[in-house]
Amino acid sequence: MLSGVMLYFVLTTVMNNRLDKKLLYNKEVIAKHFKYEYPLTIFEAGELTESENKMYPKDTIVYKDTLISHAIDDIEGAEEYEKYRQLTAYETLQGKRYKIITRNSLVRNQDFVLIITLSTIVIILLLLTGLWILNTQIAKNIWKPFYKNLDRLKNFSIQDQNPIQLEPSNVDEFKELNSSLKNLTNKLQSDFNSLKEFSENASHEMQTPLAIMQSKIELLLQSATVTKEQSGQLQSIYQAGQRLSKLNKTLLLLAKVENRQFSVQEEISLKELIERQLENYEDFIINKKLTVTTHLSDTRITTNAILADTLISNLLSNAIKHNIEKGTIDIMYDGEKFLFSNTGSILEQDPENLFNRFKKASTLKDSLGLGLAIVKKIADVNNWSIAYSYESKVHKISVLFKT
Amino acid sequence: MKILIVEDEIELLETIVSYLKNEDFICEKATTFFEAEDKLISFKYDIILLDITLPDGNGIDLLKLIKEESPTTGVLIVSAKDSLDDKLTGLDLGADDYITKPFHLAELNSRINSLIRRRKFAGDESIQFNEIKINPTSKTVTVNDKPIELTKKEYNLLLYFVTNKNKVLTKESIAEHLWGDNIEMADSFDFIYTHMGNLRKKMKKLGAPNYLQTMYGLGYKFAEK
Repeated sequence: MLSGVMLYFVLTTVMNNRLDKKLLYNKEVIAKHFKYEYPLTIFEAGELTESENKMYPKDTIVYKDTLISHAIDDIEGAEEYEKYRQLTAYETLQGKRYKIITRNSLVRNQDFVLIITLSTIVIILLLLTGLWILNTQIAKNIWKPFYKNLDRLKNFSIQDQNPIQLEPSNVDEFKELNSSLKNLTNKLQSDFNSLKEFSENASHEMQTPLAIMQSKIELLLQSATVTKEQSGQLQSIYQAGQRLSKLNKTLLLLAKVENRQFSVQEEISLKELIERQLENYEDFIINKKLTVTTHLSDTRITTNAILADTLISNLLSNAIKHNIEKGTIDIMYDGEKFLFSNTGSILEQDPENLFNRFKKASTLKDSLGLGLAIVKKIADVNNWSIAYSYESKVHKISVLFKT
Repeated sequence: MKILIVEDEIELLETIVSYLKNEDFICEKATTFFEAEDKLISFKYDIILLDITLPDGNGIDLLKLIKEESPTTGVLIVSAKDSLDDKLTGLDLGADDYITKPFHLAELNSRINSLIRRRKFAGDESIQFNEIKINPTSKTVTVNDKPIELTKKEYNLLLYFVTNKNKVLTKESIAEHLWGDNIEMADSFDFIYTHMGNLRKKMKKLGAPNYLQTMYGLGYKFAEK
């Protein structure tokens, strides 16, 4: 647009300059005629007015644009104003002062300029739209793999066993980006895997020394010569060892769940599992005078039996442990959703941390703080969603099975 | 009863041997795959305790050999790996039971005894301790030939004590035996106490003396005074 306007002005100036030269030349021709006394018959030579003489005492040349009316041939009486470039020269020729006016129509010139300007603008506009369309089209094609890759990166999980699949691109920069991303994610995954392997192996290696420790103490306890004081100390060592071995076993279980080593799938009845666990925990339930209600569907689900058992055992133990005296536990399973509700005081910690490792309620000393972390892991590897809520003094943990 | 213990950790091996020695068991030791193979070919055993991870071979391969050489031998797999695959392969190949490290010696003994009963007597043999008679098949107990009504937990408790008679059993070991090893509750020791109390009362009613002794608060012992 701006270039259009500029073009208009430049063209007008150039045209005017040329016209002015032409007018000057015409004037010179007329002046020469006067000079050499060839009276021009077609020209009327009138006297100059007084005021004009006064205004321009010397030779002066004035250029200006002017509008002059002239009749249009076709229509009677109609008049039209046209723009003219006019040169008015006051000159003294042969001792006599003359005013010489030469004009040239600007209409044609102006039309010309206007047409050029307009067509230029149209061409520029067309060019711009074309460019824009071309640009968006190219951008779309070039960026398409980029956005696809971005999506895949967003969904990338370090725990995935498969390396990330990136959309190939013809652009060098994207190729480089893809290869760097691939290297980065591969490195991340391999580092993560070796870390997992390490923790699993470390836990394994600890089992044997722990077994020796534990069995040696048990053997020592059999000896009749152990005094009461010594047995107290032995007990402390033994309990510490027990705690360590339990912790180790639990961490090992977590690592194994994470490494998806429980891959054997079978059809199991959650109802039977729950009933068996309720029987196992009977003493704990009676001790706290808890009321247990169940609404269990017979629907079977396909999953790993050990994991399902661990999940239910941990949830139940959690519901008992954090319950109040004479509280209630309600277990509901309708084939799709599994809901564990239990009475209990409000969480002291952020519910966000509930499923994290070692985030235990500070009031319970003997808890490892790994129970719900295991529950979460088991749900994760099975693609089940798990949620927690607290309403009117009832904790609710729900597991949604996606079968 | 002849038992072969295949275990590469000598310390653990010695401990197991000295715990089992007092029973009616003759224990043989093997610390390598080669040694175990050699003994298996030369002698016959009633029970084999088999560690799967050996320095010079896999215990699973020994298991195949045992099943070929003497199919009546009971096999109890002991492993630091309680990975499901090992467990399944082991049990599929004919192992009778599986125990993971670290374990309680009393638990190991109880498993061995139960295995012997299943293998030798097809479960028909009852266990006798003075006036107490336990029938593992029907899970019934008589004291002075009079039946005694026991809950499931009390029965398990009594059987555990009788198989590990004259030994100090820790509370931890009892709790694990009764509720499984993923129990994580401090209250469980109180319940042992409650069950013990009930068991004592029921047995006293039928004229049995009190065999259950408390050992300084760290455990219990089932023995004649």
